[in-house]
Amino acid sequence: MSEAFKLPPLDIEEYSLGNGLRVVLNRDDAVPVVAVAVYYNVGSRNEREGRTGFAHLFEHMMFQGSENVKKAEHFQFIMKAGGTMNGTTSSERTNYFETLPANQLPLALWLESDRMRSLAVTQENLDNQREAVKEEKRLRYDNQPYGPIFDLINEMIYRNFANSHSTIGSMEHLDDATVEDVQEFFRIYYAPNNAVLVISGSFETAAAKDLVETYFGDIPSQPAPPELDVSEPKEVAQTYREWEDKLAPFPAFLIGWKIPQRRTPDFYALYLAGKLLYDGDSSRLYQKLVKGEESVIQLFGFTDERRGPSSIFVGAIPKPEKDLSRIRDIIMTEIRDVAANGPTADEMQKLHNQLINDAVRMRQSSMSRAQHIAEYALYDGDPSLINAELDDLLSVTPEQIRNAVQNYLNTDNRALLDIVPAGKG
Amino acid sequence: MTQAIRKTAPGALEPVPFHIPKPYSTRLANGLKVVILEDRRLPLVSYRLGFLAGDVNDSSDRIGVTSAMASMVTEGTVTYSSKALAEKIERLGASISASSSEDFTIIAASSLSIYSSDILELVAELIFRPTFPENELDLYKRNALENLKFQRSQPNFLANEQTARILYGEHPYSRISPSPADIEKLTRQALTDRHAELIAPNNAILIAVGDIERDEFLAELEDKFGAWAPAEQVVTPPAEPPTRAARTLTIVDRPGSAQANIVLANIAMERNNPDYFPAIVMNQVLGAGASSRVFMNLREDKGYTYGAYTRLDARRLAGDFEATAEVRTAVTGDSLHEFFYELDRIRNERVSDDELADAQNFLTGVFPIRAETQEGLTNLIVNQELYGLPDDYLQTYRENVSAVTADDVLRVANKYIWPERLAIVVVGDAGEVLPQIRKYSDQIEVFDTEGNPLELASFEADRGIPPENVSGNWELNVDFQGQAVQITMAIEQNAADISGTIETILGSGSIREGRVQGSRVHATASTEIQGQAVDFVITGAVDGDEMTGTLSTDVIPDSLAFAGKRKL
Repeated sequence: MSEAFKLPPLDIEEYSLGNGLRVVLNRDDAVPVVAVAVYYNVGSRNEREGRTGFAHLFEHMMFQGSENVKKAEHFQFIMKAGGTMNGTTSSERTNYFETLPANQLPLALWLESDRMRSLAVTQENLDNQREAVKEEKRLRYDNQPYGPIFDLINEMIYRNFANSHSTIGSMEHLDDATVEDVQEFFRIYYAPNNAVLVISGSFETAAAKDLVETYFGDIPSQPAPPELDVSEPKEVAQTYREWEDKLAPFPAFLIGWKIPQRRTPDFYALYLAGKLLYDGDSSRLYQKLVKGEESVIQLFGFTDERRGPSSIFVGAIPKPEKDLSRIRDIIMTEIRDVAANGPTADEMQKLHNQLINDAVRMRQSSMSRAQHIAEYALYDGDPSLINAELDDLLSVTPEQIRNAVQNYLNTDNRALLDIVPAGKG
Repeated sequence: MTQAIRKTAPGALEPVPFHIPKPYSTRLANGLKVVILEDRRLPLVSYRLGFLAGDVNDSSDRIGVTSAMASMVTEGTVTYSSKALAEKIERLGASISASSSEDFTIIAASSLSIYSSDILELVAELIFRPTFPENELDLYKRNALENLKFQRSQPNFLANEQTARILYGEHPYSRISPSPADIEKLTRQALTDRHAELIAPNNAILIAVGDIERDEFLAELEDKFGAWAPAEQVVTPPAEPPTRAARTLTIVDRPGSAQANIVLANIAMERNNPDYFPAIVMNQVLGAGASSRVFMNLREDKGYTYGAYTRLDARRLAGDFEATAEVRTAVTGDSLHEFFYELDRIRNERVSDDELADAQNFLTGVFPIRAETQEGLTNLIVNQELYGLPDDYLQTYRENVSAVTADDVLRVANKYIWPERLAIVVVGDAGEVLPQIRKYSDQIEVFDTEGNPLELASFEADRGIPPENVSGNWELNVDFQGQAVQITMAIEQNAADISGTIETILGSGSIREGRVQGSRVHATASTEIQGQAVDFVITGAVDGDEMTGTLSTDVIPDSLAFAGKRKL
């Protein structure tokens, strides 16, 4: 039945303001809640050598106040209105979002427009946010067991600097940054013509459009940001690195592969291959390693979806005294099996039901809709692709999965990172 | 657009009403209560089968059995092995899980509505035909033991363990986890017995939310669960939590810990207490969120911590009020000082109208956001049903929050927060934190991370020893990123109390709240550096005319070592 399953399409209206800001409205009055997402087309991929960590530093700067919103007030305004909010940075984009009671839409648009127009890029804010980022790095990367392992393996997988360096960046580079550098970064990348604004949830369309024009309409546009090259050479050899982790209680390893970009048939096929290998209690590797061999404390895997070359990872924290190379052999054996025989009919049925289930659940919350729509609008220039996503995934055939696993995973084109505990204990 | 519109935050539009329909309730002949809310927004269903017993109902010779039974009920049935069951569930794109909390045990199932009957059938499988295979129980026990070991490395677990023990005494809430010996003792028979008693229709509520048709669903329930036989429920009334007469201080020693986990707690209220609404509004003002008072004070203003919160943990049988933060070791005492300041303030001063409105707006505003997804809506109904809250609880939630007054807040703050009788629990380096916080209580206990009592005297060799003379002018060199930076301190001493001034190349300030215990010095210096108020915490040890120690401040992440001499 799954091929026949059709989701009612989301109501999507897209338009642009005179200054180039792309606006997407997704109206759904089920619950009196509204979500606003602003996605800026800037991530760590846009950073130059010697200037890493800027995109993420900006995520902090954006909460430091603007012409009419004092430092840290953004958060207070949202909380007091009964909302939730956050911002995140990835290789691809920097996003800011809030969910509020439906009648507070003007507040969200006022807050987002004020910082897009007039962020307070001052020496004082730069200094204290540099320190905040350093503290965050200590807390989330330096002071956590296994904290930096994904940054380390990305350096092994990618050859192009735009792809390989970490989002948190170099603290020395942040120290070198002047207020002028940061102001210039803001001018280029935080321009309305380099952003997408999505409103999802309960609102009156005409009133929402008026509010958007009122708050965003006269923010000046800027020349387009510099062109970007994220292409990668095709790898042929395995890479290996051993990394001593002072905080890790157990050894662990991580295997990573470079794979094609998002929204290609091969990417979709590998995303599905990943799900059947490591996702859920019935996945192949969970049943082999956590159950069968009982050799693993934790098994994990995911795909890192990018507009350029992307990646897929499998990792494990084995139980004490277990043989890591045996566990890796089991992983490669399963990969070879998928490469030779493809997924089973039962596995395809599972994937289809899970994809439908995921697609339906994603539509429940205004914020998750807003975020998905914003990605399609920003990366592909077409927010209505959200309505094609499920069909694209359901149309992947077992042969495509088999071939993609054979061509991309059952190869020497992979990076292996061994994490060795180096603590006192 | 004019500048003027941008100057101030826009007002809200007309409020949009939000109605949660009342669910339909009925009961099957065998006693199973059934609550149905048809929700046709999307083709999904969510089921919760909640049982009114949990970990607290474990008999003393079978601690941990309810939790183990719940975890294991999905690990094999007469029809399906563990693996076959996982495959069956995931092949439907569905999820089914079971777990216990202290008060309840819940089997949760959700799927696309086309698979509604399939997952109900699987839930019936867990009720009527679980087998608790020996090999799966072995794996469960080994993983649970590993997990217990891991938990002992987590300061939060250690703090919660001590807090529960002290607050609840003989009451079963005193136990937050089984011991390794409890886990070892679990047998297949014990799990089977527990299942037979607990998993009974007369002890259960089935909540169904989603794209279902009520009459069809009820017919299906009758068919699948009608023959489910009731079982007698043995309910032992829990012991009363101990009455607290004084403030106590409990330290769990983690030598070398860079941070101290602080918990201040007292017994407060059970979940269906009529003061619940004033209490959650009070707690929202005080510390529930990142715009609440303790967060604004300890994090935003003082920079002692990444987060500081208060929590009202209202459970079925009892509950507690807790204030918590994870702070740098050097500011443990200062953090307690600020916590007590905020606890006193909420008890002594009426909250302002603005603060009250902010807290109420937050609580009423996030309520529909929590009901946006079917899982969120289901969880709200599950809470209402399992705690036995009024039938119109969800429909009147926002009115009840809005009806709370500043006087109500003052009243419940006084009724449920007792600064003089708090249990203070700190997990950190006992030698470092004890001198900073011992003044808060005369009843002090120290434990190691395994829960064994330690000799208090070994952490306060200096106690009772008269304070050494530390007065005079000190010239000290601070190691700042490898560079020696000179500072001077002029200290005046009155018995164990010290005060004075501090000079640095960047600015000067005053020393306050200083204490000397034996040879140890602890003080806070308030300075102004380039127009900014900066507090330093000074921890030092004096040896004749030499002093060594550390300076710490939230402006600089790591503490700075110093050493120097008294100017003669």
